Amino acid sequence: MSLRARLATVSPTVLSGVLSASLLALFLLPLLALAEFATPAGIWKEGSDPQFWTALYATLLASSIAVGISLLLGVPLGYLLARKSFPGKSLVRSAVLLPVMVPHLVAGLALLLWVAPGTAVSRLASWAGVPLVYSIWAVVLVMVYVGASYTVLASELSFRRTDEETLEAARSLGATPTDAFLDVTLPTASRGILTGALLTWARGVSEIGAFLILAYAIYPAGPYTGGVTSPVSVYIYNLYGLNLRAAAAAATLLVLLALAAFLAVQIAERWGRLPWRRGEIGT
Amino acid sequence: MTGLLLDQVAVRQHRFRLGPVSLEVAAGTVSALIGPNGAGKTTLLRAIAGFGPQPTGEIRLDGTRLNDLPPEKRRIGWVPAGLGLLPQRRVEENVRYGLSLRGDPEAREKAARWVDRLGLTRVAREYPARLSSGERQRTAIARALAVEPRLLLLDEPTSALDADAREELVRTVRELLTSERVPLLLVAHDAVTAIALADRIHLLHGGESRFDGPLADLEERPVDRFSARFLGFENVLAPETLASARPGALRDRLQAAAGPGGLAAPSRAIRIGGTGAGIEAELRAWRGRGRTVVVAADGLTLLGEAERGTPAPPVGSRVLVQLREEELRALPEEVEAAASAN
Repeated sequence: MSLRARLATVSPTVLSGVLSASLLALFLLPLLALAEFATPAGIWKEGSDPQFWTALYATLLASSIAVGISLLLGVPLGYLLARKSFPGKSLVRSAVLLPVMVPHLVAGLALLLWVAPGTAVSRLASWAGVPLVYSIWAVVLVMVYVGASYTVLASELSFRRTDEETLEAARSLGATPTDAFLDVTLPTASRGILTGALLTWARGVSEIGAFLILAYAIYPAGPYTGGVTSPVSVYIYNLYGLNLRAAAAAATLLVLLALAAFLAVQIAERWGRLPWRRGEIGT
Repeated sequence: MTGLLLDQVAVRQHRFRLGPVSLEVAAGTVSALIGPNGAGKTTLLRAIAGFGPQPTGEIRLDGTRLNDLPPEKRRIGWVPAGLGLLPQRRVEENVRYGLSLRGDPEAREKAARWVDRLGLTRVAREYPARLSSGERQRTAIARALAVEPRLLLLDEPTSALDADAREELVRTVRELLTSERVPLLLVAHDAVTAIALADRIHLLHGGESRFDGPLADLEERPVDRFSARFLGFENVLAPETLASARPGALRDRLQAAAGPGGLAAPSRAIRIGGTGAGIEAELRAWRGRGRTVVVAADGLTLLGEAERGTPAPPVGSRVLVQLREEELRALPEEVEAAASAN
């Protein structure tokens, strides 16, 4: 009996259920091991440590700024890639993919050499009041560098789905190109853009490699006004060198918070599910 | 003049060339564009609405040259085949959209009137995804007419509709045209819509203009095999088909009547059961409600009609066919198109 014939005897739903469950187990079981090692008491203790929360605050603040910058710069680029033809377009798309592919230690090193004290960029940034090394702005810079590609790519995919006939009908009704962009293109692409922003945010929160080079510690500068601190990923890395159980506890807390955040996004999306999509298949 | 005037309009898009097309749609009249797939019908409508490559020639509406105006300044109601309804807006918001863009202070009331006129009040609060095809089509037409366009362009308005919905839409459009007197240019993909709505027919084939005139003229003298089929000639024979048939009385008489593009014969031109001399053929089948027959002779299979009140011969029997030569239409030579619009 051929493999194809054997496969045909299994229900596709059962088969995909088993395969999906295997992947989910791979995702979740190591995290369970982490939580088990951390112990509830350890997690509680870590949760009462203000240093953890300060690090988390620094991460959330920086990632929110990074998402804002990524949307501001990435959505227009996604639009151009999706809807316009221009020379060197493949080159531009490769440049967008580059940060996703280079090891992040390499990204950190490149960024450090670019913004190191004494360089023109560094002088310009200091003059503008945004020091780019060992500051919250360094964290933001890294997060934009490693994460903005997701916003660009998700925007591009969404803008490609814009319905040409809807744009034309809107124009003939009196919409200028700007009206048509705001009333037709953006609303239909918004869901995809938000997914891209969420990925950018998640990528920023999970970053460590480039931080270890560029933003190992953050000194008071910019909007962050606390003492010397690190992003939460670096904080966990530091603990890992000193106390494995405490590191596991802090890591478990971060995982739980991330899980809560994703659940909240999904629930919010369900509540606010765009009513005009309700009649569509698969939503 | 009032209405639409196209003078030698041509569009070049990649390898496809449309035109030159010249036509008029006077105020209060309807013209239907017909033609096979890829003939350039949609390309022409889009060019008039201001989309696609810049055409050469002149597009005038109520005497104003449109060529250099952006789409939003042309005051043309453009309803594409996919309708282009805003999916995130309810029916009445879609209808109101153009009025709001113009800052019309009575947008809400006007939109409500159009929703009512097109029988959409029951679904006014629904999103397009929840509507039937007919309701969607009427929403798009209401939205286009709400801004008081100087011309209405409909691309295949009835293609997604079943027979009932098509009938209803045709009736609605006729009523609206009587009261609004907006000139209408539509792409008709079926003869029923064209016959029910259009005063004039414009036939495009492979980007070329083949016919422009009243429907009756085209029915009297189809200009190619497409128009003959479109208008319901049941037997449309290419010259190759006639040439490859076996020599015989039927083939010879059809060939004698054919033109360089072949022959179009309605089923009523091929009669069985009459009196007098005829051509012998085999009765292959009875079709429909009993008078339409399939007959075969000389390797040709044709749809014909049985005379009323004559006994129905069984399938497989030999019958005598009378040709009504005055009903046969010789077709002029087909001009093959270089490339299609799709």
